[in-house]
Amino acid sequence: MNTSPIDSWDGAEAVFTYADNPAMMGLFLLVALAITFGTIIIAAVHEKHAYNNH
Amino acid sequence: MEQEIAALTERLAALEGASGMSGTINSEIFYWWCTALMIAIHAGFLAYEMGASRVKNVLASGIKNILAFAFMVPTFYFFGWYIYNSFYEGLPPSGAVGLPWEASMGPNLTDNATGIFWAAFTLFAATTASIFSGAVIERIQTAGFLILAILLGSVVWILGGAWGWHPTGWLLTEFGYHDVGAAGVVHMVAGFFALGVLINLGPRVGKFNSDGSANAIFAHNVPFTITGLMLIIVGFFGFLGGCIIYMPGEQWINIYGQPTTLSAFAFNTLMGMAGGIIGAWVKTRDPFWMMSGALIGIFAAASGLDVYYPPVAFVLGTFGGFVVPMVAVQLEKMGIDDAVGAFPVHGIGGMIGVLACGVFAGGYPNIDGYPPVSLWGQLVGATTMGVLGFVPGFLVSFLLNAMGLLRVPDHIQEMGLDIVKVPVSAYPENYTPGPVSVATPSGAAAAPAE
Repeated sequence: MNTSPIDSWDGAEAVFTYADNPAMMGLFLLVALAITFGTIIIAAVHEKHAYNNH
Repeated sequence: MEQEIAALTERLAALEGASGMSGTINSEIFYWWCTALMIAIHAGFLAYEMGASRVKNVLASGIKNILAFAFMVPTFYFFGWYIYNSFYEGLPPSGAVGLPWEASMGPNLTDNATGIFWAAFTLFAATTASIFSGAVIERIQTAGFLILAILLGSVVWILGGAWGWHPTGWLLTEFGYHDVGAAGVVHMVAGFFALGVLINLGPRVGKFNSDGSANAIFAHNVPFTITGLMLIIVGFFGFLGGCIIYMPGEQWINIYGQPTTLSAFAFNTLMGMAGGIIGAWVKTRDPFWMMSGALIGIFAAASGLDVYYPPVAFVLGTFGGFVVPMVAVQLEKMGIDDAVGAFPVHGIGGMIGVLACGVFAGGYPNIDGYPPVSLWGQLVGATTMGVLGFVPGFLVSFLLNAMGLLRVPDHIQEMGLDIVKVPVSAYPENYTPGPVSVATPSGAAAAPAE
């Protein structure tokens, strides 16, 4: 599978392999946001559960 | 002859290109190592925070601090860098620079600067979160803490940075604000933010008696706390190195574009630090406060590290190291349990630094016709940083408290957080304390400070 947006370095600037178009960048950005803030929600739920069990 | 001139011209152009690229890469290398050194700040806070906790909470305190670091990185990528680059004129934003989908926000063969500066600023953000983290040990919920840490590290302090620590921030352009070592934009903001949260969070169970008198809650590992504080000092050399701008082929400039040298920072950082240790030692005889005094001394001199005569930095450091422990005592008398002295050390230490710059650097010129440094400008800056830190900290922690996401229930605090939330034990072979001294130095707070 070729994930590279370039095949030589002539004139190359930003090189984001795999996420080389707005749709893929947006998708990965959204996933990263979901992981970051979703983890906080999971932490809150886990914490309440732990407190209730003691 | 013409061919020789053409060949020489070509070689000269090649040499200029090579020299320019060498300068660019040297600059990149400088900030790379500043960033690496700044990780020592976080390591130091981690050690201090765990050492200052009781055995029953030591790993929970460590987890909280590590998570602050982890969450600061992506959130500063998502919106922290954008806030710094787009809000320098105040609210609303002046542009839309630094958003995470820009070509500069990732590997880019034509941009050697953005990533390395983003990394350095991210570590500044982690420092603010660590300052706050120590104040709230042993009784804050992880989720509430993370929300507050993200708010402080990736929104609030960097907004202050955009206003007062930016080449065209409004505090500079309107008031000539001078704060090269971030006494206001990092330390005041973080210290006042912590104070706002502490009011809503309340003290650790057992800290205060029903008559309002305070009980000492002792650190479980004093050598660890002192070592941690010394590690923070090491990290601050990366922090302060990251506060000035490497201009390949030219003299250094500070964040406001004024010429300076790394030597100036070396003189005044060390002299302030030494003064702070001595001032705190004279006042307290307490090794916690002596190392906290080292930090206070740096903050007390931080705003004018580029311009002070080194004995001025030393005197400021001594003054800060002597005075700030008294603030900690008063805070405790007010019923506020600041477990590591974050507000006195960073909030008040930073405020001394910002205001002192108005007195001891008044009249120092700014570039581009901006007002010179003045006591009035520093007063405006200090007030801005204090309010900017306190108000969001107080309001958001109030909301989190109302939602039940702030304070660990008292019965859990009594059991200890590690046994409830952490799957491993800090000292599985049992912790055996030696003889305990319950004496506290005259005039010092019962709890250690950082």
